[in-house]
Amino acid sequence: MKYLIVILMLFSIAFTSVAQNDSKNKKAINFKLEDVDGNIVELKKEIGNGPILLAFWATWCKPCVEEMAEYNKIYKEYKSKGFKLLAISIDNEKSLSKVKPYVKSKKYEFPVLQDINSEVARKYYAQAVPYTVIIDKDGKIIYTHLGYMKGDELQVKKIIEEQLNIK
Amino acid sequence: MKKIVFYLILFILFAPNIYSQIESGDDSETTFSMPEGLSFSNQMKYSYDIDKKIEIMEDWFNLDYRNGIFSAGFRFDTFQPNDPNPAVNRGKNRYTDFAYKYIKAEIGDKYEGAEFTVGNFYALFGRGLSLKSYEDRNVRIDNNLLGIKIEGRYENFVVTALSGMPENLEQKRSDILHAVDLEYRGLKFLRFGASFLSNQPENETVSRTSLASFRLQPRIWNFDIYTEYGVKQNDDIKQNTFKGEKNIAGQAFYGNLSFYYGDASILGEYKYYDNYALTSSDGTVNYNTPPSTRRDYAYSLLNKHPSALDANNEQGYQFEFNYSFWEYTFLTASYSITKTLPSSSYYQQILKTDNGIVTQFKEFYSHINHQWSQSLYSTLAFGYSEELSSNTKNFTPVFDLRYSIDERNTVRMIYEHQHSTVWTNNEEYYNQSITIEYLRSPKLILSFNGTMQTKEPTPGNVVRTTWKFVQLSYKIGEHSDLILLYGSRQAGNICVGGVCRYEPEFNGLEMKLFSRF
Repeated sequence: MKYLIVILMLFSIAFTSVAQNDSKNKKAINFKLEDVDGNIVELKKEIGNGPILLAFWATWCKPCVEEMAEYNKIYKEYKSKGFKLLAISIDNEKSLSKVKPYVKSKKYEFPVLQDINSEVARKYYAQAVPYTVIIDKDGKIIYTHLGYMKGDELQVKKIIEEQLNIK
Repeated sequence: MKKIVFYLILFILFAPNIYSQIESGDDSETTFSMPEGLSFSNQMKYSYDIDKKIEIMEDWFNLDYRNGIFSAGFRFDTFQPNDPNPAVNRGKNRYTDFAYKYIKAEIGDKYEGAEFTVGNFYALFGRGLSLKSYEDRNVRIDNNLLGIKIEGRYENFVVTALSGMPENLEQKRSDILHAVDLEYRGLKFLRFGASFLSNQPENETVSRTSLASFRLQPRIWNFDIYTEYGVKQNDDIKQNTFKGEKNIAGQAFYGNLSFYYGDASILGEYKYYDNYALTSSDGTVNYNTPPSTRRDYAYSLLNKHPSALDANNEQGYQFEFNYSFWEYTFLTASYSITKTLPSSSYYQQILKTDNGIVTQFKEFYSHINHQWSQSLYSTLAFGYSEELSSNTKNFTPVFDLRYSIDERNTVRMIYEHQHSTVWTNNEEYYNQSITIEYLRSPKLILSFNGTMQTKEPTPGNVVRTTWKFVQLSYKIGEHSDLILLYGSRQAGNICVGGVCRYEPEFNGLEMKLFSRF
């Protein structure tokens, strides 16, 4: 088993070390999800104007709600320039009913989508939440990040500014 | 060995493609590219318990390929050896297998189209009252079905039809589940749907169990309502227990109402689950997981006391209130109660028991978050619970403070205190937990946790037990996360929405590696 662990570790680290630029060539996977108001949102229809941030989150996840508050600030600042934020809740049927009341009480203006059985989260390998994916205007994934701690939003903001050609 | 060979083959096969060099534009910078459409992820957990001398290795490897409307992939599971706890290992001790493989085709757009899946799949009807096939590794649930699933969307109707076999505790797929769900989404203010499921046991002398449910989802102004009612049928129960006098063998109702206005929102949920669990004929696979109306907690001591969902014998409700006082303060308060069913229930009639209604679980929880400045953030939480399964009532205050030294560096302290009283013998005990974290964005989290349990089994005889661990989380580039833990950890439950897994006491080294490419 020790060999197996070593192989897995080397495999992952080797990939990581060479794959930093690789994600830029990866096409974002299309999905169709409903938002909390019952509207269907399809990713490919949203692509084309500017960067899109997919934020996988859940109401029961504390770092997620902290992250959402930060992303809301970024959204307010850049939405007029073509930036889109799609918050994808992976709350299951047990906490799903809490999503809309929570979002409304926080007055979030961006679409909050419901991935009830984590189908889209599985497609994007969101192994835990929060999980962030940034897609450029050509539909390519340019950034992924698992987890959230204070300061992570700076990198996200920097990438969005680069995509929007804001110096 | 099989696993090692598999990874080596995989590596050899894909390495040349994956590392095929491409020129990236004008600057001629050399980089590497995965074949378009190919992606994979890996999740590994290894632990060594020094006291018990137990080594556990768990690994989930996913590989997916997408090309146009088609996609295909698999998940290769390795458990060698698996966790000895039967709640975790599901009978898989030294086990490697392609536990999930599929081929899928999607046509059409978001309003009209179809999706065909052959192989393993997950499915959810409504809110899971009648069908929820899903995977949650935290609680080691994976009740995927092997078969065929078709989903079609046309003129605001969405229909899902499936036939599939679940894997039982002996890793055999013997029963067949047939299910269909139809939903109409054409009206903005009202959505409705119906489901029908039938489990066909391998043994033909055992009768089928069927569920039929109907749901309504009105939206009026700032009100959102969801209601679903279902009935269960089984000819064996009808003939043997009810002598043909009753047509149904169980029923369930779930309803919730949410209302939001300005800075406030209220949520109310009600449940009544009477012999409504749909399982494989051997009882080891649950097809449905109805809403539990319990809270999932972010803090460890609040989550330690279990209350597992019982879709056969539960009634109760939950209320939750959220309010933003102003931009920087947020309040949440909730109350829920779960009771058993009366003796007139189908559940008790089938078991031929005559038990009164008992409160299984009661909880009150409230927390208030406040952001004092850009750098200082605090949470004060309080939980109270009464639990029949552990015969305890528990008071749990929590204080969580976060201070950002600068844009990248943060320190955090979480203090939890839990005072438990055992009803049966009036024994009282305390659990205290302190977590201190240093977080450096975007790569590093270093944390220390110390937990102490104080008991007084006889007057004057104070017994203290301590557990402590250090944990390092580090991001290896953008695609991998490594978590190393060393030390001891208290036993307890990990619960996700009423589905719980007991995690025994641990003392040793644990390593987790999450990778995705």
